[in-house]
Amino acid sequence: MTYAGKRSRIICATLIVVAAVGAFAFRVPNLDKRPMHTDEAVHTVKAGELIEEGRYIYDPQEYHGPTIYYFAMPFVWLSGAKSLAETNEFTFRIVPVIFGTALVLLLLLVGDGLGRWATVIAAVLTAVSPAMVFYSRYYIQEMLLVFFTFAMMAALWRHSQSRRFAWLLLAGACAGMMHATKETCILTFAALGAAIVAAFLWARWRDGFTLGFQKVFRRQHLVMAAVMAFFISAPLLSGFFRNPRAQLDAWLTYTSYLHRAGGAGIHDHPWYYYLQMLLYTKNAPGPWWSEGLIVALAAVGAVAALLPRPVGDAPPGRARPIAFVRVVAFYTIFLTVIYSAIPYKTPWCMLSFLHGMILLAGFGAAAIIRRTPTIPAKAILVILLSLGAYQLGQQAHRANTRYAADTRNPYVYGHTATDILRVAKRIEEIARVAPEGRDMLIKVITPDCWPLPWYLRGFGRVGYWAEPPDDMDAAIVITSEELDEQVDAGLKQEYQKSYYGLRPEVLIAVHVRQDLWDAFIEERSK
Amino acid sequence: MKKTMTLIGMIVAFALLAGVAVPRTCNAEDLTELKLKLPKPMFVGTPKNIKSKILDPNTGKKRKPVMAPAGLTNVAFEKEVTASDDEPIIGELEMLTDGDKEGADGSFTEFGPGLQWVQVDLGESYELYVIVLWHYHSQARIYHDVVVQISDDPDFVTGVTTIYNNDQDNSAGLGVGKNWEWIETNEGRVMDAKGAKGRYIRFYSDGSTSNDMNHYIEIEAYGR
Repeated sequence: MTYAGKRSRIICATLIVVAAVGAFAFRVPNLDKRPMHTDEAVHTVKAGELIEEGRYIYDPQEYHGPTIYYFAMPFVWLSGAKSLAETNEFTFRIVPVIFGTALVLLLLLVGDGLGRWATVIAAVLTAVSPAMVFYSRYYIQEMLLVFFTFAMMAALWRHSQSRRFAWLLLAGACAGMMHATKETCILTFAALGAAIVAAFLWARWRDGFTLGFQKVFRRQHLVMAAVMAFFISAPLLSGFFRNPRAQLDAWLTYTSYLHRAGGAGIHDHPWYYYLQMLLYTKNAPGPWWSEGLIVALAAVGAVAALLPRPVGDAPPGRARPIAFVRVVAFYTIFLTVIYSAIPYKTPWCMLSFLHGMILLAGFGAAAIIRRTPTIPAKAILVILLSLGAYQLGQQAHRANTRYAADTRNPYVYGHTATDILRVAKRIEEIARVAPEGRDMLIKVITPDCWPLPWYLRGFGRVGYWAEPPDDMDAAIVITSEELDEQVDAGLKQEYQKSYYGLRPEVLIAVHVRQDLWDAFIEERSK
Repeated sequence: MKKTMTLIGMIVAFALLAGVAVPRTCNAEDLTELKLKLPKPMFVGTPKNIKSKILDPNTGKKRKPVMAPAGLTNVAFEKEVTASDDEPIIGELEMLTDGDKEGADGSFTEFGPGLQWVQVDLGESYELYVIVLWHYHSQARIYHDVVVQISDDPDFVTGVTTIYNNDQDNSAGLGVGKNWEWIETNEGRVMDAKGAKGRYIRFYSDGSTSNDMNHYIEIEAYGR
């Protein structure tokens, strides 16, 4: 490598590290401010089993894989928490923050595939993409899945360039982590497998050469990588062999996921749902949202990647450099099509292909700059791209501050209303005047109780009923709008009732026993 | 004799009471329907099955005609508005008294989270009878801690009349209120100002069941 090449490599690596530091700084503030989404609360309670009982049981119907719970454990230990009640939002949400940041650093591994400056641009876009930032602060599996996917792709690429078996084993380990993270990894595997085949065929058809995959991937090595994947996934899914059936269940679960993906549910959306969300959203008076810059640059990147290449000399024993970006291009196209075709859609599912778009956007932007003829024109282009990145960063900032739980934010989906924080505060206030304190009896009578278990985790006597029980009286009774009349009729004691929003247009009624309410008002007026 | 005096006393007392009631009856007869121009409804299906001691029992039902003394005008129309937050997140302060009550884009003003107030300066002191408030009616929601006060003091330190307060737990620090909470619709909220006099009207709120922002579409104040 020449001196200039070495210097450019060091500069690019430094810039990627700086982007990662920026990504962390962007993701980590005020993790406790946004109310817990139902899915997040469900995962914290599942993690609570691991904290309190030291066990994890895979459930093929719900929750996905356990990596998100295991990765929370170091932060639980560091916080000194011995139970779920002693944890807080930071303990859990820091996990996706770490993976969202590390995702930027992974770009250091693919500089020779994507292009050095393309990786820098991709690093900046990953750091500021509103969706990437928003879901890096969400205690759900998606960011871990995206991280392990890219880690697997980067490890495969490194193997293709160095032929070191360790990289292939690492790729296998990442595939295992993907499987232990979320069942939708199967879509990623399908898209990636098809992309490798498509890239191979495309090169033969358009360029008249092969990409060199056959020179670097030996069948027996791939089998060993698959075995590695199994040996990573199996212990995690089985709770370290407490539940040996888990590996089987993790495959049988696809029957239930196929049924869910098939449609006719509240999460069904049209095929263009993700693309529309990325291109332009304006839900009500308020700001508009768009990651159109990324989509547009990704389109340029895909075209640039697929353009015919001169045959040239193939590097000895290695895949051709264009192979990486070609695979990324096909992978992104295929995964976008797959997720768009499935009727079941939630916004966070798009992260997998959005990350592919970000890689392509880096490649596309670098290609545009490279082909721009003069230095001043290049400088103007860099300034424009910087302004675009700044605008994305502004969107990301408001998506995570003022609009963090606001339905006008396109990434807020079925989110808990901020009113839940009032409920939590009120129950704490009542506990302070209740003779039993935090052991006062709380009854939650509603089939739609989440995320209340998270907010009630510190109370000793909390019961949950989907239907009104015979005896409904308690210090605090929480019920849904639908069961409100039944609960009112069944309560024998006097209560003060207040309505709060659980989600937009979904109300819950909080009944506080009158003697406790009076004591609370008296305490407040002192 | 004592019995006779008692009887006479009762008759006098009754007559006095009746006498006091006469002007009220006269006032009641003078009441006419205040025709309010309502904006288009933005949604259907206000929840009807929710009831509480503090939620308006008329939730989900059509409002009865608003009766008020004859000859009232909307004295808040195009009057100056100030607020605890002079730079709303969305919209302008003038929009609160511009006559546009629609729930669609561009008709509401959004203020930040927490307890916020807006204040209308009527320009001079009026006898106020009916205040109508539209917070936001694109979605069924309940705004918290709604307190409405009238005063001649722009700082609301002296001579303050509270005409509405549904802050049941005194979280706004303006006293415990006993007025109804309500679910927002295109009908807005009608408040009886009972002829209270004042130049300034101040409206407090502290977020809603949907989010922690405070929204205002329009304020009308009928007086003379």
